[in-house]
Amino acid sequence: MTDERFETNVSTTCGYCGVGCRLEAHVRDGRIVSISPALDGPANEGHTCLKGRFAHQFSRSRERLTAPLIREGGGFRLASWEEATARIVSELIRIKSAHGPDAIAGLASSRATNEDCYAMSRLMRATIGTNNIDNCSRVCHSPTSFALRRSLGLSGATGSFSDFDAADAAIVIGANPTEAHPVVGARIKQATLRGLKLVTIDPRRIELADYSVLHLAPRPGTNAAVMLGLCHVVLRDGLTDGAFIAERTEGFDELELLLANYAPAAVEEITGIPAADLEAAAHVYGEAENACISWGLGVTEHKYGSEVVQLICDLALMTGKVGRAGSALLPLRGQNNVQGSSDMGALPDTYTAYRPVSDEQVSQSFEEAWGVPLSRQKGYTIPQMFDAAVDGRLKAMWIFGEDVAQTDPNTTHVVHALESLEFLVCQDIFETETTKFADVILPASAFLEKAGTFINAERRFQLVAPALDPPGSAKTDFEIITSISRALGHDMGWATPAEAMDEIAALTPEYGGVSHERIGRHGLQWPVAADGTDSPILYEREFSLPGGRARFAALPYKAPGDSADAEFPVILITGRRLQHYNAGTMTRRTANIELVDGDWLEIHPDDAERLWIETGDRVSVRSRFGRIETVARVTDRIEPGHVFTAFHFPEIRTNLLIGPSADINTSCPEYKVVAVDVRPVSEAAAHTPALAAHS
Amino acid sequence: MHLTIDGHTVEVEPETTILTALRQAGANVPTLCFDERQAAFGACRVCLVGVEGAPGPLPACTTPCRDGMVVDTHDETSRRVATAIVELVLSELPVAPAPHTELATIARSLGVVAPRWPGATHPVDHDTRHPYLAFQHELCISCGRCVRACDEVQGAFALTATGRGFTANITAGLDSGFLESTCVSCGACADTCPTDAITENTLLAL
Repeated sequence: MTDERFETNVSTTCGYCGVGCRLEAHVRDGRIVSISPALDGPANEGHTCLKGRFAHQFSRSRERLTAPLIREGGGFRLASWEEATARIVSELIRIKSAHGPDAIAGLASSRATNEDCYAMSRLMRATIGTNNIDNCSRVCHSPTSFALRRSLGLSGATGSFSDFDAADAAIVIGANPTEAHPVVGARIKQATLRGLKLVTIDPRRIELADYSVLHLAPRPGTNAAVMLGLCHVVLRDGLTDGAFIAERTEGFDELELLLANYAPAAVEEITGIPAADLEAAAHVYGEAENACISWGLGVTEHKYGSEVVQLICDLALMTGKVGRAGSALLPLRGQNNVQGSSDMGALPDTYTAYRPVSDEQVSQSFEEAWGVPLSRQKGYTIPQMFDAAVDGRLKAMWIFGEDVAQTDPNTTHVVHALESLEFLVCQDIFETETTKFADVILPASAFLEKAGTFINAERRFQLVAPALDPPGSAKTDFEIITSISRALGHDMGWATPAEAMDEIAALTPEYGGVSHERIGRHGLQWPVAADGTDSPILYEREFSLPGGRARFAALPYKAPGDSADAEFPVILITGRRLQHYNAGTMTRRTANIELVDGDWLEIHPDDAERLWIETGDRVSVRSRFGRIETVARVTDRIEPGHVFTAFHFPEIRTNLLIGPSADINTSCPEYKVVAVDVRPVSEAAAHTPALAAHS
Repeated sequence: MHLTIDGHTVEVEPETTILTALRQAGANVPTLCFDERQAAFGACRVCLVGVEGAPGPLPACTTPCRDGMVVDTHDETSRRVATAIVELVLSELPVAPAPHTELATIARSLGVVAPRWPGATHPVDHDTRHPYLAFQHELCISCGRCVRACDEVQGAFALTATGRGFTANITAGLDSGFLESTCVSCGACADTCPTDAITENTLLAL
């Protein structure tokens, strides 16, 4: 359709969450004037949310970084690209020769394209010579990736969001899709209005709970007991698929023994979920012909998050609900490319498609392609990088598109680590809490300004196309990484992101048939065979594990890393709100700020009354690790004994409260269970002149 | 089952509507209240087609195909009625809809230039309190697409039809504007609106 109001129309993929909405960006006078959803977008089918559609003005914000900055004295000064590059080259070479390549680490970004992430991992592995490369999926869905690989074989959803339309029932656990993944949330809501039987499991009464047949509110950190209880009832009441278990799985006997301990009454003790509700929920799922399970960070960001994902797989496997349309396991991946950044090997232990760096044959194929020797040693994960920086083992970091000082847990430790580094490069579109510690800041490009691909939560490669030029002398991330690598002596040899993708396809059998041309408007869901055949449904015939059999995991419930006590009697849960996105770097610079201009603490009326707190009151929230102040909002959507807040606003610094507890397998931080003390802040003190003079 | 559309035989699945069938066959009729993202509504009567044996024109969007049906998209009565409807709709608007809108596109395709019926038009009434979404109430033709987008696509149930007859219009919440309603600002209403009665603030100035 031609439209006289727009000069150009560019089809691209949304850069906010992992749903992967296809968008049409309409441009006039070098600005985006409107964005509309692509009618043929496979994940969004002509719909999108207020972030994808409206929150684009950040791209032309006056606060965008438009030239490199170099630290000088107490502040930063503008610099040319030549000078910034020269500084980076000389410092990295100095540190590498003095301390070895493993004294340098890089972070790729789950907000950036596959090609950017692949280039960044090649920069660290080939140009620098270390496997110290990680990405922010570490702090969100690394447990999902770990568990799916363990239980089923591949690190991705087994189906697509369209499976909700074909399902008779669904479980949504530890996710709030109508706020954090709004287009999928709307899809689930529509499915329930058509008769999908939905069970929501979340400590908060999320919006979808109003559309569910059952809402279970477990105590934070007890998801494992919930899943074991559901499995127990399914087994006890004969809702298992014996043929599926016999023909396609192994390890059920061990699980069966374990499940004896998780009768509904026992689970009620642990989780607080009434036994009858648990039984009813197990029947909703178990009796359905086809059913899906979706989960988010409420499952993964726990000490035993990866084990809970394995238990989710157990439930699906024992009922045979995987590997066909309408029966899928659908993790709600957080960021637009959190699937892709890990698929592309921006991880300390794996190359593309999760092939270990210790694998001789794989390593040799990359050595041959890149023409340099490569390390077989695992690198540091993000938390290990910060520990190593504090210890003095890590001297330099290159952080690309991540605001670790706002979003990572245990902020005090992160800041200490950043201050301890000899040299820090930040590559971002805005100054952030993290860039305050940088030695060189490189002005990068937003998703509306670059070419490449993202992989959404359905394992679908989708094209990203530039609608705008980067502002000022900012460059695309691809150009920054490849040109500095060249200056460091390693020419990656690609003129365009499409050429980088060709290399990825050539070196990775799972993505063998992927090319920008083939991805086209409809995308490709990996694995993609050399002839371009993609895989909307995984495991239709066999699992991607030795013998083709899925593996049951017999993992008992264990208490979370933190618990309420006399000093910290309330459990804090953190999450997202509809109007903002993660650190808020983008959404706070759009008119979304007129819709929601700050964070608040949700607290139950009983707790609020006991603590003399009313909606709008300023409150102090203190944990074992830090203290913040925010504003209270009294709501019965949260259970007594729990409070909830988001982390979108740097002035609040919610993550100061989060401690070092992390998933035992993947070191994904335990953001979701933090014991805190909440109390009102007296307004009077701040206005006392004598106190103000000493502050 | 088989049916004949403009003289060509077409095979369709049971429960296919005439509109789907004729689009599959490469034919077309204009539609106004239809959006493929929503259930067919059948309110505007712009998609009327002739069907052999039927007492009068039938709406293609809501009429299921029957085996052996003979459909004529060029049926003279149907086209005449559809054209008159579009002309009547336009006659209520104080200004012609912008050229990019679906209503303007349909009017062009039916050869409706300016309505022949002068008389009352909707009073100009804009609401731009929401940071992104704007109402231009005078352009509302009560097609119901925004209400159905809000209900059937997003599930926010924020919009509703209000008033009767000539004063029929659209409102958010209890006539309280988007901000005070259950609106989640997804913009599905603006995306489907065929007249820009709901549009984006940024586009008003263009």
